[in-house]
Amino acid sequence: MSTEIPQGIREGITEALHSGDEEASDRLTREVLELGCDPVEVVQEVIVPALTDVGLRFQNLQIFLPELMLSAKAAQASTVLLEEEILAQTGSVPTLGTVVLGTVDKDIHDIGKNIVATLMKANGFKVIDVGRNINARVFVDAAIENNADIIGSSSLMTITRAGHKQIIELLKARDMREDYRVIIGGGSADQRYADMIGADGYADNANEAVTVAKQWMEELRKA
Amino acid sequence: MFRNNAFGETIDRAFNGPYIEEQEYDLAMAARIQQLVKEYDIKFDPARPVPSDGEMADRVFQAGVQLFHEIGVYHMDTSRVIKYGMDEIEEGLRLAPANFIAGEGNDAVWVRHRNIEETEPPLNLSGPAGLPVSEATYPQLLFSIAREAYVDAIESGAVATYLGQDIMAGSPTEVLATQRTAAQAREAVRLAGRPGMHIGDAATAITAIGKMAASNPVHGLRPTDARIVSEMVEMKTDHDQLVRVPHLKDYGSLIIHLMTPLTGGIGGGPEGVALMSVAELLLGAITYQADYHYVSITHIIRCNNSDRWGLWVQAMIGQAIARNTHLVATNDPFVVSGPCTPELLYEVAAASAVGTVCGFTMHGVGTTAGFEENHSTGLELAWQGEVAHAVTKSRWTRDDVNEFCLKMLDKYEHTFDDPNRGKPFEEAYDMLTVEPTQEWSDIYHRVRDELFDLGLEFTGKREHWPRRTAPTTE
Repeated sequence: MSTEIPQGIREGITEALHSGDEEASDRLTREVLELGCDPVEVVQEVIVPALTDVGLRFQNLQIFLPELMLSAKAAQASTVLLEEEILAQTGSVPTLGTVVLGTVDKDIHDIGKNIVATLMKANGFKVIDVGRNINARVFVDAAIENNADIIGSSSLMTITRAGHKQIIELLKARDMREDYRVIIGGGSADQRYADMIGADGYADNANEAVTVAKQWMEELRKA
Repeated sequence: MFRNNAFGETIDRAFNGPYIEEQEYDLAMAARIQQLVKEYDIKFDPARPVPSDGEMADRVFQAGVQLFHEIGVYHMDTSRVIKYGMDEIEEGLRLAPANFIAGEGNDAVWVRHRNIEETEPPLNLSGPAGLPVSEATYPQLLFSIAREAYVDAIESGAVATYLGQDIMAGSPTEVLATQRTAAQAREAVRLAGRPGMHIGDAATAITAIGKMAASNPVHGLRPTDARIVSEMVEMKTDHDQLVRVPHLKDYGSLIIHLMTPLTGGIGGGPEGVALMSVAELLLGAITYQADYHYVSITHIIRCNNSDRWGLWVQAMIGQAIARNTHLVATNDPFVVSGPCTPELLYEVAAASAVGTVCGFTMHGVGTTAGFEENHSTGLELAWQGEVAHAVTKSRWTRDDVNEFCLKMLDKYEHTFDDPNRGKPFEEAYDMLTVEPTQEWSDIYHRVRDELFDLGLEFTGKREHWPRRTAPTTE
């Protein structure tokens, strides 16, 4: 039987994530673990709601990109410790699913992709961020290596959007199209293009990407 | 030609400057920007999207110079920071051109630094601003722009396909598509009777190899045209951008520096974005040795700059640059609406008026915030120039434009959450006559009459090149 998370620490971690205080996030997470609280509960009841709220505040521009980045760093400081503990206790870290994320070949615009990564992590996904200007082969290899559920690709420029199609075509060529759900996004992508190239989904913004990914994981669990 | 040996220094520092992780650079800059906003007492007032506070504009400029000096430019391939001394910054600004000839022959225009509330109208170096255009529509769209008398130069749009197939950036299809669209831009200005008209960029290309492939003095882009060297958000460059500079200098071409500072991004709110934009202009002038600048303020969610933040930042940077440098800067209106809607004309009118009184030359328009294919026409691009002429003829001040913008915002601000994207070129224009449809033409005349009643003295009717009437005879 684990100890209930004290209200003061619960509020402290929430505040640390909102203010992007990495040091406080690290310190309070160590405290809560020393008290014997369940690390899974800390993730589910404190980290996820706090970061979800941060994401919504960014979407509504109540906060700006630097605040979002600092919150993500503070959350990272906490989740590293929590995941270590979960691993020690159970031998594995539960996740909602694994997502490989990156911007397509020759596209170096990664702000949108980084926001999606932050919100995916906040919602319990394991994110393999392969970076920007990434060849289709790297997306697919990362998906295989990490036993991913979803591949997410982003493009801003019109003439880089073919990079999404390259990923899908490579999956087909390697006879593994059915192994992964593919979601595309970014300024030069839209639902029509997603349909045209045979992607499984399209998201207009980061929150929508999370919603779609959650829905897919639900479907995959039921399947 | 290079203005001095600073480019060699830039390359050296790109390899040997201080190493820093990219996220640390971003966060250090974000924090420093917020300190500078406080130190320099820069304040945004949503009720006054077009401030006429010269002293604040000067403070924005000083804060921007300090940011550029302290933070430097981030090189994304080497993770090194390229820093410049104050003496180098001052020399870079001194050597940047205050004016130049764009285009050639009878169609050449003299582009120059503009001052605040000038009585001479700005040039309209217009185009679809990188908007995606289908291959089939591209030639007619460019022709519709080039033939407009209120357009002084065109910027080519970007196509997504080559002979129906997706273009892959960095592959031969990018080169082939760029060569073809550059030739089509050349043909569009010739068919419009303006063969020497300046062509700003070959927007289909996004890599250095693609941009360089447009260099062709007969069928493509000439030295009297220009190519873009982009700055990555925020204050970042890489080899692919820098490698264009020696090619364009060697070709004798004009260089456009494209900057897209994000409101709501690393710079935070409008105050921080304004001072950061000054720093970004310095990057263009010093690191890229650019001839002129596309100041393309971009809302981080909606991708427009017709909102209060965007208008304020444009007004503030324009004044800061006009008062403290001799740089040639263009505003770059990005609006949420599309052709065949009155909202598009209201948004463009607001942006044009701001640019005109705040020291900008005109560029843009990015309709539908760049999202919808083919949603661009010659009409709204000419409208941008027409409004600019009217603003100067009316002798409007920044205060007048502020009042005007508040009235325009009332007409389109409420559409931001559900923008009216309008119609694509094929539905807004007759594809054979390359004229606006009756619907689009009626909307234009209605809005023009409405704005005339608001005190905007239009100088002549919209017409094709060559003009049949003098622009000041109405």
